[in-house]
Amino acid sequence: MNNMLKTISHLSLTGFISLTILFSPLYAAEKKPDKYRFEDTEAFMRLVIRTPEQLIAFYEGRQFKREAINKILHTCFITPIVKNKKFDVMWLELDNWEFRDPHNRSIKRIKRSYWKKQWQAVKLSQAHQSTFGWTLMPEVRDLRQDEGVGGSIAIPWQNIPFTLIARFKTGADKKGPEKIIRFHGVVCKKDNSTD
Amino acid sequence: MPLAFATEKLPKGIMKLDGRNAPPLILKNMDDETFNLAKHRGHWVFVHFWASWCGPCRREMPLIQAISTKVDHKKLEIVVINTAESEDNVFSFISGVAPDLNPLMDTDGLVTERWQPRGLPASFFVDPKGKLQYLALGGRHWDEPAYFKFLTQLQNTKLTP
Repeated sequence: MNNMLKTISHLSLTGFISLTILFSPLYAAEKKPDKYRFEDTEAFMRLVIRTPEQLIAFYEGRQFKREAINKILHTCFITPIVKNKKFDVMWLELDNWEFRDPHNRSIKRIKRSYWKKQWQAVKLSQAHQSTFGWTLMPEVRDLRQDEGVGGSIAIPWQNIPFTLIARFKTGADKKGPEKIIRFHGVVCKKDNSTD
Repeated sequence: MPLAFATEKLPKGIMKLDGRNAPPLILKNMDDETFNLAKHRGHWVFVHFWASWCGPCRREMPLIQAISTKVDHKKLEIVVINTAESEDNVFSFISGVAPDLNPLMDTDGLVTERWQPRGLPASFFVDPKGKLQYLALGGRHWDEPAYFKFLTQLQNTKLTP
């Protein structure tokens, strides 16, 4: 079982490339139409949503303890990848993003402070806390032109599709035009999900 | 005694920093040898943070190994730091992609947190006086001429009165 999970882990490594990361622009070559992909002359944004099996494989591959993985599995992990293509600065500020259910009710994002408490509760090692932290999307980032960022955002598990509205202020002084990117029909992926 | 920086037009993905002091960096490598950045003044130091789970790190590491064979280590020292992984993970990764590099082990991730890279991978350039001068964002193609020229210019930068 362990070997199988390790194999899955290695296979999923490529998929996890974009987790925390300032990424290379290789993804730009992907042209397949995709409801989780947005691109215009100003910005690129893509959502990658992990299944529980993928999350287990990744974190077991990094020797996370099962109690910690279970905490992660209680939530829905969305990994946005964003690139500023045009602006001198495009501000990633997660507090300006909205998750909304079909009734237009706000879905609260799970913040870093929540995880800190969970890790204390299961006595997760500092190394694993650090690794987990680097896989999360930064709360704030002044994205320079051509700079990208990726990382995971957790929300409470949703059984029905929801909307993500990502708002970015622009310009060094944040006084430029606001860039808004919307993704509709986003779903939390189950292991057998085909979405 | 400011430094004269030869590089006005920076290659893509290289950011100028404000020249503040580099944070402390004292770590052991996989041979249990200690590296202390404070003892490496007088030349540039390329400080690279990475983790094996990060895809761009996987692509970038062989390029870092390649440039490490081309630069003058007395003028530009290359230091790679693994963030918060076990020796087993690091060994199995590095032996596959860059076996000539001997990473420093930030075993609890706290040094990386103190340096605050803008994600992983990230490379800082510390000047001969121990100041942070540049940051390379994400995975860079260090084998491309623009980057190699940048590195060459750095290692040839002279101290000015």
